[in-house]
Amino acid sequence: MNIENTQSQMRKGVLEYCILSIIRRNEAYPGDIIDEMKGAGLQMLEGTLYPLLNRLKNGGFLSYRWVESTSGPPRKYFRLTEKGERFYVLLQATWNELVSGVETLTAGK
Amino acid sequence: MKFILHVTDMKKVININFQGQVIAIEEDAYEVLKLYIDSLKVYFSREEDGDEIVNDIECRIAELFGNRLKHGIPCITVEDVESIIASIGRPRDFDADYEEVSRETSRDQGEGRSTRGESREGTKGEEPRKLYRNSSDKIIGGVCSGLAHFLKVDPVWIRLLFVILFGVFFWVYLVLWIVLKEMPLGSNVTKRFYRNPNDRVLGGVCGGLAAYFKIDSWIPRVLFLLPLILNVMGMFSIFPLNRFFDHVGFNLNINSGILLLYIVLWIIIPEAKTVKQKLEMMGEEEYIQSIRDRVSDNVSGCKSRTEGDASTGLTSDGTSDYTSGPASSHTFAHTPAPAPARSGCLNALILSAKIVLFMFVGLFALVLFSLFAGFLFTGARWMPLKSLFLDPGYESHLLIISFCLLILVPLIAMVTWLIRRVMKAKSRPVIGVVAAVLWMGGLVSVGLLTSRVAHKFSVEYSSEEKAQIAPVSVDKMYVEMLPYGDDYAELMARDLFGCNIGTFRFFDEFDDRTILPYYTANEDSLLFANINLQVRHSYDSLFHVRTIATVRGRTQRSAKTDALQFNYPITQNDSVLFLPEFFSVPVEQGFRNQSITVEIAVPAGKTIEVSDALDEYKSENSPGVPRKRMRR
Repeated sequence: MNIENTQSQMRKGVLEYCILSIIRRNEAYPGDIIDEMKGAGLQMLEGTLYPLLNRLKNGGFLSYRWVESTSGPPRKYFRLTEKGERFYVLLQATWNELVSGVETLTAGK
Repeated sequence: MKFILHVTDMKKVININFQGQVIAIEEDAYEVLKLYIDSLKVYFSREEDGDEIVNDIECRIAELFGNRLKHGIPCITVEDVESIIASIGRPRDFDADYEEVSRETSRDQGEGRSTRGESREGTKGEEPRKLYRNSSDKIIGGVCSGLAHFLKVDPVWIRLLFVILFGVFFWVYLVLWIVLKEMPLGSNVTKRFYRNPNDRVLGGVCGGLAAYFKIDSWIPRVLFLLPLILNVMGMFSIFPLNRFFDHVGFNLNINSGILLLYIVLWIIIPEAKTVKQKLEMMGEEEYIQSIRDRVSDNVSGCKSRTEGDASTGLTSDGTSDYTSGPASSHTFAHTPAPAPARSGCLNALILSAKIVLFMFVGLFALVLFSLFAGFLFTGARWMPLKSLFLDPGYESHLLIISFCLLILVPLIAMVTWLIRRVMKAKSRPVIGVVAAVLWMGGLVSVGLLTSRVAHKFSVEYSSEEKAQIAPVSVDKMYVEMLPYGDDYAELMARDLFGCNIGTFRFFDEFDDRTILPYYTANEDSLLFANINLQVRHSYDSLFHVRTIATVRGRTQRSAKTDALQFNYPITQNDSVLFLPEFFSVPVEQGFRNQSITVEIAVPAGKTIEVSDALDEYKSENSPGVPRKRMRR
């Protein structure tokens, strides 16, 4: 049990929720997502983003289309499917529960 | 992939075509990139659509390269690659950051990331050192490889030993093959012999030798070719040392020996396919450690990785001069290593062996099939006779069941197997097991049937009857055959076996007399021609004729009942004795090996003349010597 491990465990849980919320706002390609995450101060490795997106896509939560890019190979732009939308709503509810619960707990001290 | 080489002042720069982008990149940086992508491929190979993920990442890398090149730098350097790698992350970073808990927990439990390097030796020690056959690295049965794993040596040496001492070790190998359990074992030697696919002329054997011993590859090549060269020299007698070589015996034997050695090596040395294997081939301890880290977690899918190699446009012949990258002391967890591939030479051998095998199998199947067809045919031929042996009801049903199980089941199973084989369906052992069980059931039911039928023949009973013979006026008695009046063949076909003209024809073709002891039957009786005629001396001055009816049955009582039902009327017309062609029994009796012995006692001074028609009935016993019959 060490601090890094716990931290990464905590981050892990919300990663999908964050990514889905970014994609939900706008169609996004992995580069955007990484930038937004970084902008929000959430560090994540791109290498972990791709398998995650792939899994969400395979699960039917995301769909994508190819968009030609001027600065390199064509990009995959992801968007939420209906299933993804429902999934997101559920995650959101859970997240809100968590936040309020954790806040109540920690504020009580 | 094509790449163009620029040699700038300092470093080699190559242009690579990477995801459709032309990227100018330093050779060193390229090597780093290639290794990185290889490690990604291995890492993601266990993921669904792992190739796609790697492809996405490659696209991203290409885009980042493009961005950098746009900013005016002339080419991608090692630093660029390193920083991109750092932002994307290495497989080991993914694990710390994100991992699929289910797959990883077992590996990570009790073993922090930081302690991984040290723990490698530990895991090795903990692993029970037992002798197994190695399923992940095998040429024939994995015996040598398993032995090598046990002894912690390169499998090639064990294999070589087995090949050289073939005569002794053949049985050892066979026994070990049978006795040992198979187990996928990781490689536990850091340096191994591999055939080098990047440096090969024929099979890469010499290239591998060179890599193993860290010499130039021309040295083993020359060594292999030297005898041949010298021999050629000797052959043409241009060389003054010609005589010397002749003396030493550089002849064709040596050449073929060398050739054989090469082929043997070709077969027993696996080809280095993955990066890890290539590095094991070089055996640079330090290097392997760092690379093992990169190529860590190579649980599976190494194949897909090597195949994918071509598609990324990252093919190159150089893992050899890659030197950059922080070589950390991390090592990969003890997972089964990728199986070294068999050599093409061996594959060819296996293929030809398979062809021969399949030919044999095909031949065997053909023989089996014709055998079955023969059974089927004779079965059909004999089918009408079944009522002679079998009671209707239980036994007839048993016969049909046995027939189906014994003959139809294997036929259907074979056809099914062939179809599935052709369709390339997954083999279902269940089918075979079920078929085998059914067939066994057929055997059992045939056994049952046979025993029931045999039981009907367990007791033999004979009953004797004296025929009344009027005194004969002359000295000679004539014995004639009384032919059966009716058209029995037709009767038989129509009445006993149903109105089946086909059956009739069958029996028409038959030579019943030679094949069957019974001749024919009419509506309510069976006619048998199993008649023995015996002639012996009379004890008095009269002719005596007696008939002995013999029949077999389940019990003595039933046999006796049957014996008394025989109908064999002998008639006499003065000196002529008429023996009917057949004796008849009620049709219900069926075939019970019925026979009739006609014994004619001839008084002294009188003779007997048996008609030629009765030749077949004459007993082999010499006339005058009465044949003793078992009486019960």
